[in-house]
Amino acid sequence: MESVTRITYDARGLVEPDVTVPRVSEIEDGRATFDATELTTRQINAELRWLLYDQGLEDVTILNPRSRHSIATGILTRCRITIDGSLGYFGATMLDGPEVHIKGRVGWSSCQNMMSGVVVIDGNAGSLTAAALRGGDVVCRGRVGARTGIDQKGGTIIVCGDAGSMTGFMMQRGRQIILGDVGPGLGDSMYDGTIYVGGRVKSLGVDCVPGEWTDADTELIERKFRIYGLGDPPELQKFVCGKQLYNYDTLEPSERKLVL
Amino acid sequence: MHEPEKIRSIDAESLSGHRFPYQEDIALVEDVDLVAATPGEDLNWLEDIELLQEEGTPAVFDRYSNSFLRIYFPIPGGRENEIARKVLIKHLQEGNSYGIQLKAKHCKFPQPELGPWVKGSEMVGTDYQRPVLEGWEPPAH
Repeated sequence: MESVTRITYDARGLVEPDVTVPRVSEIEDGRATFDATELTTRQINAELRWLLYDQGLEDVTILNPRSRHSIATGILTRCRITIDGSLGYFGATMLDGPEVHIKGRVGWSSCQNMMSGVVVIDGNAGSLTAAALRGGDVVCRGRVGARTGIDQKGGTIIVCGDAGSMTGFMMQRGRQIILGDVGPGLGDSMYDGTIYVGGRVKSLGVDCVPGEWTDADTELIERKFRIYGLGDPPELQKFVCGKQLYNYDTLEPSERKLVL
Repeated sequence: MHEPEKIRSIDAESLSGHRFPYQEDIALVEDVDLVAATPGEDLNWLEDIELLQEEGTPAVFDRYSNSFLRIYFPIPGGRENEIARKVLIKHLQEGNSYGIQLKAKHCKFPQPELGPWVKGSEMVGTDYQRPVLEGWEPPAH
């Protein structure tokens, strides 16, 4: 029997020449909903931008995203976006302002490079979640893959499940709260920032050391747990940079700005 | 041979060519609502914004232009980070960040000029034209 594998749509949206906005949304009481089943990646993002930028709506729901890649990227305004399903890679990335709720799973590099906003993921997330995060909150109620928060420069990452290897790799600022177990190399080569872990740590990375708990840590944890309805916080271990890899007494201005 | 001046610490004043009133008067930033100005239910990304120093002057760092915004008025004790955040938000909401000022000319896709900081901001980048090198012709094939 002949096996036929046929790709019926361009998942990445790279060869979709039609930039016409589909205008298929149902708009009611200032809220919009549209079904993405028959839309291409480019059409989904065009519809989303049309609703938020041209129509001035602040609450949009996307139904049946079908795990497409690069959905809800580069949105630079205050709004609420609900993804009723799962996304592929680079979902909800390069955001500045939106509050996004993903009611499924996400692939790798979700929420990367976010400047401000909130993303809540109900399922699991792939590797490189919230890579280079600059600000805002990323909450994953499931598990995350390797290198979560790599090169993180700000913001808060909260993971309710386990995290993979090299979590917090090259972290420069910000906070991570991992409630489950963490794989090997936690906080490897981190420059600054704080990582809280509720479960077991397979091994610490280079220059990642236990930190001293303060009242500010308690305030942060209790506040984030209250906001995201995570119940009572468990006992957490705190990890910070040991600063043994610091080679300069003072940073050059350009280097200093890289970590701010 | 003329050696151009080397600027080692590029700040908001150098980029825009002048100071802004809220750098010198605390009264102009006191009414900034930090929680309302940021997405989410708490300070969110502003948690990472702290009062720093640039060449001995109190300053707040503006990520949108990669520059320091100096603060010249006396800052009440215990309110250092709050005041730094309020000055930064005022700077962004008034569209004075150099990164925002560059948008109208250089951004390549439609977006609200003042981003998430001001509701109903004007759209920019709607008519971006790719620059073409004078005298250049595309190859025939």
